Amino acid sequence: MSRKLFLLLALLALVAGAGAQAQENTPRPLTFFMTFVPNVQFAPVYAALENGDFAAAGLDITVEHGFDEALGVERIALNELQFGLISGEQIIRARAQQRPVVYVYAWFQQYPVGIVTALESGIASINDLRGRRVGIPVTSGASYSGLTAILAANNLTLNDIQLETIGFNAPEVLCIGGVDAAVIYTNNEPLQIQLRAEQGDCGDISGVRVFPVSEFGNLVSNGIVTNEETIANDPELVRAFVGAFDSGLRAVIDNPAQAFLWSAQYVEGLLTDDALRAALENEAAAQTAFLATAPDSAAVADSRLALRERLAQEFDNAALLQFDVLLESILLWQADQPGYSDAASWEAMQNTLLALIDPATGSPILPQAIDLSQAFSNEFLPEAAEGA
Amino acid sequence: MRISAPYDLKNQTPRPRSVQKMWRRDALRRAAPLLTLLLVLAVWQLVTLLQIYPALIIPAPLTVLEKFIEVVSDGRLWPHLQATLVAVLAALAFGSFAGLVLGYLIAKSPLLENLLSPLIIAFQATPIVAYAPLLVIWFGSGPESKIVTATLIVFFPMLMNTIVGIRSVPPGLRDVMRALRASRWQMFAKLEVPAAMPLLIGGLKMSATLAVIGAVVGEFIAARAGLGYLINAARTAFDTPLVIVAVLTLTALALTLYSLVGLLARYALAWQRRAQRGQ
Amino acid sequence: MRLALRNLSVVYPAPAGASFPPLPALGPLSFGLAAGAFVCVVGPSGCGKSTLVRVLGGLQTPTQGQALLDGQVISAPSRRIGLMFQDTNLMPWRTVLDNVALPLELAGISRDERYKTVHAVLPGLGLADFALAYPGELSGGMAQRAALGRVLVQKPAVLLLDEPFGALDAMTREQVSLDLLRVWAQAGQTVLMVTHSIPEAVLLADRILVLSRRPGKLAADIRVPLPRPRTLEDMYNEVFNACARAVRAAIEGA
Repeated sequence: MSRKLFLLLALLALVAGAGAQAQENTPRPLTFFMTFVPNVQFAPVYAALENGDFAAAGLDITVEHGFDEALGVERIALNELQFGLISGEQIIRARAQQRPVVYVYAWFQQYPVGIVTALESGIASINDLRGRRVGIPVTSGASYSGLTAILAANNLTLNDIQLETIGFNAPEVLCIGGVDAAVIYTNNEPLQIQLRAEQGDCGDISGVRVFPVSEFGNLVSNGIVTNEETIANDPELVRAFVGAFDSGLRAVIDNPAQAFLWSAQYVEGLLTDDALRAALENEAAAQTAFLATAPDSAAVADSRLALRERLAQEFDNAALLQFDVLLESILLWQADQPGYSDAASWEAMQNTLLALIDPATGSPILPQAIDLSQAFSNEFLPEAAEGA
Repeated sequence: MRISAPYDLKNQTPRPRSVQKMWRRDALRRAAPLLTLLLVLAVWQLVTLLQIYPALIIPAPLTVLEKFIEVVSDGRLWPHLQATLVAVLAALAFGSFAGLVLGYLIAKSPLLENLLSPLIIAFQATPIVAYAPLLVIWFGSGPESKIVTATLIVFFPMLMNTIVGIRSVPPGLRDVMRALRASRWQMFAKLEVPAAMPLLIGGLKMSATLAVIGAVVGEFIAARAGLGYLINAARTAFDTPLVIVAVLTLTALALTLYSLVGLLARYALAWQRRAQRGQ
Repeated sequence: MRLALRNLSVVYPAPAGASFPPLPALGPLSFGLAAGAFVCVVGPSGCGKSTLVRVLGGLQTPTQGQALLDGQVISAPSRRIGLMFQDTNLMPWRTVLDNVALPLELAGISRDERYKTVHAVLPGLGLADFALAYPGELSGGMAQRAALGRVLVQKPAVLLLDEPFGALDAMTREQVSLDLLRVWAQAGQTVLMVTHSIPEAVLLADRILVLSRRPGKLAADIRVPLPRPRTLEDMYNEVFNACARAVRAAIEGA
């Protein structure tokens, strides 16, 4: 054997060895599907990325946003993707068509949909909606289910109101009096409308009243979804993934100022005010020190309120709008054990869907009930709920 | 169905050697589209039989047929077909008319062409899907927005073909008309329109298929009815057979329109076929 | 009807910004044609023969001088002047019947009447069986005869022909030429015909005008002393040859 060839082989062996070693240490690449566009509401994901929770779990996560939730579900069902943030409603409909998708972490503990109306509208209860014009973004998905559920809980049906499709324009349409009430996400549009009302930019409306669907019976909402194949072949991966997301979510709940700063690295235009950035950086550092004293969850919740009050002394509501969206969202996520799926919320969603007719196809949205116990699982949640 | 260039006046078809051969070739040509269809169905069936993809993702042809019968008999398909058809026909009417009128004016007025060409080129170069969401915001999610979307997409080929068609009128024929002291109207009705007809019909052929695309683009973005809307609704319901039924209905709609324009061409351009045969 | 040119010239202006000067195409040119005369115009290519036909037909205005029809200045096309070009200019979407009927149709004559007129003309042109054929289905000679028919139904007093048989083969060309002679003998129009062919000119014309190189001026005005009616036999006699030789000499000297 010539020396050259020997050298070459040695080199190859070295490279191969290095490759094998790298494989062991290199985090596993994974694509995480979520809908819409980067947004402060995805703060738990950004926190888990920035805080190194995914990396610590050996995962190299690429976030992929897509408008098409159904397509995301289809790809997860085919195991082309392993994880996504998907609504429970889609999971029920997908499983009704034999898609092997499973919901493993209830990100939203409260159903985020509600009905907003002006203080002046004379609508003081859901029953007052009878005969009134109610705007809805589209006649499908979470808004449609939420509306149906809240009406049904008050012995009303869609026929008792005047439903109008208005796209995602509830603030504009409500302010010009185009509708009397609108189906919205409680952590977002009410804040926008309230702000416009305060600025005198919302017609005669002085403020808003919100009826959250969850007050009348909670429904399952968005959470982490994977597929049966991944659960069967690699349950540890699911556990690791869910654990990392859970850490991110807890970090957001504990230190929203820090979470907002992290989110600003992913969401363009989220934080353009240097004074606010400086203030949040101070708050984040102070909160880290406070958390080191191992406060209980009530104390942490109080710390968020105090933070909001301190910020209010320096910044107006317009400057804090996106931060308020985050604080409102935290209220929808927090629980004694975040991520836990309540079987009752799945039952409620399934019952809602069973009663619904898809206006597009004229057929029932859910032709028959599915076995809900297969649709979700709590077994991948982190075992000890620390500090709770 | 034959795909033909709009202007094949000089196209010569090769002469077959014998009548028998000609007959055989003719029969083959006539059966060819059917053979393709059968081949596609066979491959489709094979893919589902071998389960190359899960049946959920690619349902068998028979499953799709069952779904088709189901949605036809319970009347679920018709309102969507109707909504799309109305939008397509309205867009064809508006878009073609506007394209004809503006195309004629531009062909006649170089100044108008200079004024409008930057706008026209910019509009035509921009993919309609890029600005269709804006149209939905401006015109709402009712039928108007998709009619506007489809009208815009129909308008440009008609406009361009009209301009080229009117400009391609042979100058010798213009001389003949002028020498006979033809009036402006006679020049238009007896020379320019028939001379441009092959290109006008070519534009209409293109427009007919584009109108379907335009309507579906509009329905994909926001709508309350239509086959494009049905496709999205069926996808959200994970009803893949219904998705395929809706897609194939769209195909049938587009092919029908294309064939109708083809029939119109047979009638209006009978001279072309006769001339080709005679040569 | 009488045709006359009075000091007529055509100059094509140089395009705006071009470095070359305006292009003189024709003239100055003066001559007169008696009513019922058959005159051929020959000359080297590019001598402005086609321009002359377009000016006489009212399709183009002269730069200087005038063209006159019975003493009236020609400023626009007239239905009394029939024009025919090398290209038949038949409309491919019209049948022979409708192509030939075009002048009548444009003049607002009813469908029945114009079809009657055309059906009367077609047999003389050998097109009786082709009334419903489209131009694309015709041979070159038939198409040119259809074009001739279209001019004839117009019943013009003057025929302006610009190399009407230029695209035809020699045999067809002679046939159609004789058809033309027969028609002319019956109706007695004033004919001005541009041609490239010296024998054709001698066979058809009473008088041959030879134009010089660009800008085309009158180089020679040659009488053809052959008796009428003429036949193809005339092409083989001495007078014919002498006349053809004289025309050729005039062209070469032009």
